[in-house]
Amino acid sequence: MSEDDGAVPPSYVSDVSTLIAIARGDARVMSLVQELDAKGWPLIMPALALTAASLDSRSDEADELLEGLELFENVTIASLQDAEQALALAAVIARTGLAPWDAHVAMVADSQVCPILTLDAAKWRPHLGDLDEPLHIVEIADPDEG
Amino acid sequence: MPCPNLLSSRPSKYDPGMSERKTRVTVTIDPRLAAYAEQLVESGKAESVSAVINGALSERVERDRRIRRRWKELAAQADPAKVERMLAHVEAQRAQLPPTHR
Repeated sequence: MSEDDGAVPPSYVSDVSTLIAIARGDARVMSLVQELDAKGWPLIMPALALTAASLDSRSDEADELLEGLELFENVTIASLQDAEQALALAAVIARTGLAPWDAHVAMVADSQVCPILTLDAAKWRPHLGDLDEPLHIVEIADPDEG
Repeated sequence: MPCPNLLSSRPSKYDPGMSERKTRVTVTIDPRLAAYAEQLVESGKAESVSAVINGALSERVERDRRIRRRWKELAAQADPAKVERMLAHVEAQRAQLPPTHR
């Protein structure tokens, strides 16, 4: 979809690896998120993935960087809204064997029909066919670093 | 002849916090927070409930500014050429996805 036709482009769902990079102050990933936001690409941050990123760093600075995501115009935090969603997450965990935060990422990507933005494509490849509809990933990488 | 007391009580320079016109808004807050604000006023630690709310919002504004600044500082350390290549790589992968996911 073109960014110039006035329509809102489809979203990306950030996974734990992307959020851990932000929590650690990874300049490249933070700059990339800024660029995507500036281009109007919606980014969804699953709440449990934020939890996992915070657990990785356990510092006030890391938590502030993660909270800073809420200040972006096109970033949405996806929480578990009700019992139905909480139980749907349990079903995804049982079906995929993923950790709860990864399963939350998969659930959001599946329900919103959008790709997972990740630094760790290898982690997702075994799970791309775990749900009724295939999951899709977009890897953050510099192709020149091959 | 001007009154000396009035002259001496004038602020020596412009203070936007004192002089800024306030906007009246109606808000709903948790009873425990309202009670705490009242307690601050009653104990003389705050001028009014409005001042407590104003102060809390000012702190939030300052915090958000600090976080935005930190994001900018860190992101600015990235090599722009590298970020551009990464962005192009992301967009190239996206273009290869099924139409439902583009």
